[in-house]
Amino acid sequence: MITLTIDGREIQAPENAMLVDGAKYGDVEIPYFCYEPKLGAPVGACRMCLVEVEGIPKLQTACSTGVKDGMVVHTQTARVRDAQEGVVEFLLINHPLDCPVCDKGGECPLQDITFGWGAGTSRFIEPKRHFVKPLELSPLIAIDRERCIVCYRCVRFSQEISEDYQLVLLERGANSFVGTFDGHPYVAPFSGNIIELCPVGALTSRAYRFRARPWEVEGGGSICTLCPAQCNVEFTVRDERVLRVLARDHEDVDDGWLCDKGRFAYQAIHVDERIVEPMVREGGELRAVGWDRALETAASALAGAAGKAAGLAGGETTNEEGFLLGRLLREGLRSPHLDSRAGTPLPLALRQALAAPALAATVPDLEFAHAVLVLDCEPVDDAPILDLRLRKGVRRNGMRLAIATGRPSTLDSNAEHSVRIAPGAGGALLAALDAALGSGGDLGALAAAAGLAVDEVRTLATLLSEAGEDVVILWGERLTDGPGGAHAARALLNVARRLGLHGPQGAGLLGIPAGANGRGLAEVGVLPDAGPGLQAVETAGRPAAGIAAGLADGELSTLYLLHADPLRTHPDRTLWERALEQATVIAHESTMTETVRRYATVVFPAESYAEKEGTVTHPDGRLQRLRPAIGNPGQVRSEWRVLAELAERIGHGLGVLTGEMATGQVVEAVPFYARLTLEDIGGRGVRWQERVAASAMPEGAPGPFDLEPLPAAPAANGALRLGTFRSIWAAKEVEISPSLKFLAARQRAELSPTDAERLGVEHGEPVEVVHDGASVHAIAAVRANLPAGTVFLEEATATEPVNILTDGEQRLVQVRRP
Amino acid sequence: MTALLFENIDEEGLNTLEVYERRGGYRSLPKALAMTRDEVLDTLVESGLRGRGGAGFSMGKKASFLPKTDMEKYLVCNADESEPGAFKDRELMQKNPHQLIEGIMIGAYAAGANRAFIFIRGEYDFQADILEAAVAEAYEAGYAGERILDSEHTITLVVHRGAGAYICGEETALLDGLEGKRGSPRLKPPFPANQGLYQGPTLINNVETLCNVPHIIRLGVEGFTKHGVEGSRGTKVVSVSGNVQRPGNYEVELGTPSRNIIYGLAGGPPEGREVKFWFPGGSSAPILTGDDLDLPYDFDSMAKAGSMLGSGSIIVIDDSNAVLDVALKVAKFYRHESCGKCTPCREGTNWTVKMLERIERGEATPMDLEIMAGVQERIIGNCLCVLGDSMAMPIGSMIKKFRDEFEAHIERARAEADGGPVPEPSALVGVAGAEPGPYPSTADAED
Repeated sequence: MITLTIDGREIQAPENAMLVDGAKYGDVEIPYFCYEPKLGAPVGACRMCLVEVEGIPKLQTACSTGVKDGMVVHTQTARVRDAQEGVVEFLLINHPLDCPVCDKGGECPLQDITFGWGAGTSRFIEPKRHFVKPLELSPLIAIDRERCIVCYRCVRFSQEISEDYQLVLLERGANSFVGTFDGHPYVAPFSGNIIELCPVGALTSRAYRFRARPWEVEGGGSICTLCPAQCNVEFTVRDERVLRVLARDHEDVDDGWLCDKGRFAYQAIHVDERIVEPMVREGGELRAVGWDRALETAASALAGAAGKAAGLAGGETTNEEGFLLGRLLREGLRSPHLDSRAGTPLPLALRQALAAPALAATVPDLEFAHAVLVLDCEPVDDAPILDLRLRKGVRRNGMRLAIATGRPSTLDSNAEHSVRIAPGAGGALLAALDAALGSGGDLGALAAAAGLAVDEVRTLATLLSEAGEDVVILWGERLTDGPGGAHAARALLNVARRLGLHGPQGAGLLGIPAGANGRGLAEVGVLPDAGPGLQAVETAGRPAAGIAAGLADGELSTLYLLHADPLRTHPDRTLWERALEQATVIAHESTMTETVRRYATVVFPAESYAEKEGTVTHPDGRLQRLRPAIGNPGQVRSEWRVLAELAERIGHGLGVLTGEMATGQVVEAVPFYARLTLEDIGGRGVRWQERVAASAMPEGAPGPFDLEPLPAAPAANGALRLGTFRSIWAAKEVEISPSLKFLAARQRAELSPTDAERLGVEHGEPVEVVHDGASVHAIAAVRANLPAGTVFLEEATATEPVNILTDGEQRLVQVRRP
Repeated sequence: MTALLFENIDEEGLNTLEVYERRGGYRSLPKALAMTRDEVLDTLVESGLRGRGGAGFSMGKKASFLPKTDMEKYLVCNADESEPGAFKDRELMQKNPHQLIEGIMIGAYAAGANRAFIFIRGEYDFQADILEAAVAEAYEAGYAGERILDSEHTITLVVHRGAGAYICGEETALLDGLEGKRGSPRLKPPFPANQGLYQGPTLINNVETLCNVPHIIRLGVEGFTKHGVEGSRGTKVVSVSGNVQRPGNYEVELGTPSRNIIYGLAGGPPEGREVKFWFPGGSSAPILTGDDLDLPYDFDSMAKAGSMLGSGSIIVIDDSNAVLDVALKVAKFYRHESCGKCTPCREGTNWTVKMLERIERGEATPMDLEIMAGVQERIIGNCLCVLGDSMAMPIGSMIKKFRDEFEAHIERARAEADGGPVPEPSALVGVAGAEPGPYPSTADAED
């Protein structure tokens, strides 16, 4: 801390702070528009923060002047006031005074600063500048150029944060305006952040426009559970309706940004497609019934299926819901068949070793590490907000980025070294890295198995081993999903050991699960072979694929789907169709998914994430609290309450009467969550690794392992290897949110230019991807950086599902023109 | 009249290496290379050479601000001569490009830069061609490129053409332009000497400044400081334009009485006209009047008189012109060229033009003059770069020095617009548009 004097008062402020921030330590407010530290270095464009610094003849911008010991600053002199009043006057001469009809009115920095620092009158009597207004900057954002004060925030966001480089300032001088090249719509994964950045009403949400005024709404803080990034959000609520989602800045989670899915998919909460009453299938049709009837039907189905019931939990399931589902099945029905993952199960000892607190990296580590390896995941799709964190690390902190993925990554251009591995060859790459780092394995053969040249692996190994001690490996669950998952996990643990990632604070592994609460569900025991706390269960149950097989051949009879939609997310759709056909399906779901429509026997309406109470666990181990922002619509009841009621009806009460009691049971059952309370978790969350109880995490099998040699990949013989990916937009919430619909994922086949030419397929043409009699229709997308020999299809699309081609094994497919 | 930079300037073929060498060119470069960097820097500091681009900062000091580290350093020659009234660099580059190249090489050597750029305004197409040809000759002869003159120093030189924006004459906007971005001024600090082109330490100098360097090395400190006066050493190429009989570039000793330049060299205003006011340093300098004609033409005297030497471009306005016409012309230029990045300049230039137009249309009251003067004051010193000041200072000085004329015009134009009786023009002031002088009225051409 240093001492400076502002307006005659001595103030202690942290060194390196800019004056605007330092002044806050002395309760002095210096107004500004363009300054936003999250956007990088100050630009000093708005000139609102001019202050007098003794010893410097000209007024200085407080946003760009660092505090210094002994500095004497004046913010209230006539000279400063005149300059600040002047800037307000200049800003207002072309700003329309349409505050009464402006969305920003009431929460507008320009309004506030005009009130606080303006003259109150204007001397400007000439005609104002006029633009057509408002215009569609994109289907999501309206731009009103008359209101724009040219503060550059949105342009800087596009250029320096999301790095989509779409927004620019066009023309110059008083004619300057924000726009895009050639007027193209500004469509990008993070575009909505500019609405929140705008200090005036120039950029407004088209979904929120004219829906409410700031004094009519309330804010409810919670967590977005649409993806594993679990960004902290604030719901803007009016009359029990969510009208808007704002970022609730948490620098250890989201750094104050949101993706467009998180920002706009709230619309799915209030659509006609929402299921708001319990339903039971009668005569082939789903009919709305009372709760009693629905619960009774479900309870009797479950009671008759003791030992033969199974459960799947979808990614948005909270820890409490997953935990209670586990108790219902394991204790109430003596059925251990329970899973929250779609892929092949990972041996428990490896799962425990991967979750070791000493190996855990945090989200900020991605930014401050010496090097990060992005392995078998695409951050912008799998946990979007991490994409921005990685860009920030490279841009501001000199973090060295390496990418090893099958598909070209949007981060390739930020990376020092990018390699393209064969689909499913993440384990092979790790084994090759292990060899390059000195395991003594056959580097040549392993590199070939990963589809790489030896030099590419060596470069990667050198980068990671020489960057510094803080190295983070950001890996996607895809890595351990397939039959080679255990091998990949062992290889990952070996590489972590060789790079010394157990020790340093800023180093480690960060795994992105497929489901939003994938980590939490595993830790509370929604796994076939592990109970709460990742502890082995006496009788291991069937994993997801085994459940499908069991249902299909009659060994299991009843399936409880808690927010899960296997037809959409699980491999081997054909098997699942047979399984669902045979089973009694109890579905806890918020919208009419195909699974519900075709197969559900009983449907319980599910809460949306804005209605839920409970906890979720972030991929880096942070327990975060969901708090209801709105009441439940229609007949919707909390899932924990329904699960408790069902357990009661089958004669095994769970002792849960409130949501908080459910949380209490979870922390009691998971040793490394011990004694956590909802109050502890609060609005900022708690990483369990940072608590004493973390030592209760079982050690598992940390290795090192001798890796078994990998079989050579089968000869392609003109076929293409099939890879899959899940786009950020592949979500039911996107499909039913009116303003996001246009982004909904449609099946496309990504091909290399070489393969496209060989097949005579042009970009944008329809193609058919065929395997073993099944086919998927897709639009060809030719991507320059995709290696030849591979075709990528999208997972979880609403139509043309890729899971009719896959069953978890690597596939060779034919691509042809239909 | 002395001639340093303009020596042999009109000689046929001086733009070629052969003639330049024959006239004694490229002798200073080997001499400088034989000195240590610090010796060259000291020579430049002691010579008292001040920047000729407008700010008048000591060239040697600026060069010595560059950190003495191994970082890649740059020298950038600012040839984006766009100030209305300035055309000296054009002649220097067109007729004697090698003098500039030699200056750049010595400057780069002194600053420790291995890469040099000339950022020339896009409109100077003809001069850019000449420069490029000269640069090619210099490379060929070993004065530029790898291991110049068989020394261990490598200095590359690239001619970059701007895309036509006045703001790129501002040094940081120039750097943005050179990096391929939209040219907008950067926040200072960091100053280019620490973080300039591609974030590297960068020395930026005007064409004329660098053209002085070979002469300083040739003449030595003692020889060079014989020229000029205390505080303003050397000669100055002055562009004289406006209402004079012989407009053009004249090289004078700094400290020459202004009257000698305007009347002696440029011939003064046409018969029967008098100097009403003049811009001593391009259109961005506060105006001086006929009373100031006997001031010595040097940096400090101009500053003391409330104006500035700037780029050394004198624009003479005689009594056939109305001050309003000149003010409008100046304001429109700066409104057109404002980049729009900072508020006071973007909005202030636009507002000023609108107010002046209203005065012209007869829709203003004398109170508007107050407002306009206030607006200028709120621009000056409050902008990101000096472009806003470049309008506000001359306009402010015009209002101050010709308030009577503005007021008379306001009354007259209002009366005309109202259709009432038109007051007689005061004998003291010129009358806008009433009696066209021998030159096109400044208000005729639109921006």
